[in-house]
Amino acid sequence: MATELPVETHVSLNGANGSTAQDATSFANKDALARMLKGGVIMDVTTEEQARIAEEAGASAVMALERIPADIRIEGGVSRMSDPGMIKRIKAAVTIPVMAKARIGHFVECQILDAIGIDFIDESEVLTPADNVHHVTKHGYKAPFVCGCRNLGEALRRISEGAAMIRTKGEAGTGDVVEAVKHMRTLNSEIKKAQNLSDEELYVMAKEIGAPYDLLKKTAQLGRLPVVNFAAGGVATPADAALMMQLGCDGVFVGSGIFRSGDPAKRAKAIVQAVTHYNNPQILAEVSEGLGEAMVGVSVSSLPESQKLQGRGW
Amino acid sequence: MVNADIPITVGVLALQGAFSEHLQLLKKASQALPSNITFRFLEIRTKEALSSCDALIVPGGESTTMSLVAERSGLLEPLREFVKVYRKPVWGTCAGMILLAEEANRTKKGGQELIGGLDVRVKRNHFGSQTESFSTPLSLPFLGDPTPFYGYFIRAPIVEHILPPTTPASSLENNTADTVTAPSKKPINDVAASFTSPDEVRILGRLTPSKLTTTEEDAKLGITSPSEGRIVAVEQGNCFGTSFHPELGSDIRIHKWWLEKVVEKVETKRRLEAES
Repeated sequence: MATELPVETHVSLNGANGSTAQDATSFANKDALARMLKGGVIMDVTTEEQARIAEEAGASAVMALERIPADIRIEGGVSRMSDPGMIKRIKAAVTIPVMAKARIGHFVECQILDAIGIDFIDESEVLTPADNVHHVTKHGYKAPFVCGCRNLGEALRRISEGAAMIRTKGEAGTGDVVEAVKHMRTLNSEIKKAQNLSDEELYVMAKEIGAPYDLLKKTAQLGRLPVVNFAAGGVATPADAALMMQLGCDGVFVGSGIFRSGDPAKRAKAIVQAVTHYNNPQILAEVSEGLGEAMVGVSVSSLPESQKLQGRGW
Repeated sequence: MVNADIPITVGVLALQGAFSEHLQLLKKASQALPSNITFRFLEIRTKEALSSCDALIVPGGESTTMSLVAERSGLLEPLREFVKVYRKPVWGTCAGMILLAEEANRTKKGGQELIGGLDVRVKRNHFGSQTESFSTPLSLPFLGDPTPFYGYFIRAPIVEHILPPTTPASSLENNTADTVTAPSKKPINDVAASFTSPDEVRILGRLTPSKLTTTEEDAKLGITSPSEGRIVAVEQGNCFGTSFHPELGSDIRIHKWWLEKVVEKVETKRRLEAES
């Protein structure tokens, strides 16, 4: 992790006054859970068995969904929130936090997930968007939200709407890390640019990237996003995971990469070790050995624009 | 007085979770201590790094993740030795407190490995999922300051039961099939053994019952007065545990209090070792 998330932002961003009790809707309590996930791996799972494999591998949370992105890509059709019964069964099977996805803009799916006591909601481009203009206003929910981004403007718009955690979009379900790298590199270079700007210039940049000025200013001061930021979309190997960590991510989501590989349990463990020891090539070499077949995947450069999921979200 | 030429090395276990927050608070708190004491603060991922530490914080995060990664990184036994054989000062917050407990309930299927050190039984995720997380001012008399400490309880555990220190945990009543225990170990020498004292668990903080902090189960048990509130801070010998996250926020008081204890213990240890 290149730049640490200062603990001060925990108080300053969310306006917690430090004197009265606050329930889970308080941004401070959402940011707190996001921070507890740092340095960890969040794995996509579709069954209780997979959730248990993920927990045994050391996942710091699981994402419960009916179809992993690779299958969504192949099968097509409309992808929606998973059956709440299935999410509850996964919740009952593990003790680690359970996340679930809602469609972009589908605030009723979010209300349902909040009502069943989900630990985190991913308003995700992997599902078919329900609103072509608006994202969900995420402040009022008890569950914290994570949202995808391709660049700084997108990330800060989501934080402004209430997201307590950001992830790169990457290109889900491909096993090709190139887009996650592109999105993280874009974030990093835009943040560097913002750091060198005067206030007058920051106002212009805020307008150009469609981000609230205050959040852009905060980001420039910190030299990083003001919330926890994970990598997602195409991570398939321990080396991919460590690459994203060295580029400055706080942790990693692995979707199709695990349960589409030859030996999911072994690969999952290896990716967990790789995220902890991301700066130790010796350990990375050890855990990368004999993992069996990686997800076959699909090269993003061969995908037509219409099949890319990352363009969803506004 | 500690020789300022030999810094006190305080590590934060950096396998997963909010270790950076602890390091930030430790640095701030150390500036509020006498300037003749020098500290080194380190992220700990290997047993080699651990062996250079005089004291350790086990941070918040996911206790199952930390426990599994520690085991696979060859750190679990060195951690147990650090706590139970060398009896060096250790502080666990939230997930860290779970790992420092001798017993834990509501662990994952098949249980989880614990480090141990605190003769308590903790209950993981006592309040439920994240939608039941909360933050609240706490009264912590051990700080010697009536200003409440703002505590973040994030999928937090509580200390459910104080265990008698001399009784092997496994022989206790009301063990359930899913209770997991930590293995016991003997201190390496008299110096280390002296840090076990006091050997009983001291309760340092309780949660004042309120609508936000009382679960259905607590309500059934009739937990209503502050003196009956759930235990959220304990100390025993060299071990200290908090259910909440003092590393979140800008209040350095608990970090400062703990660092003062570390300095005191390291001073005593260095003096005793020089004498022997």
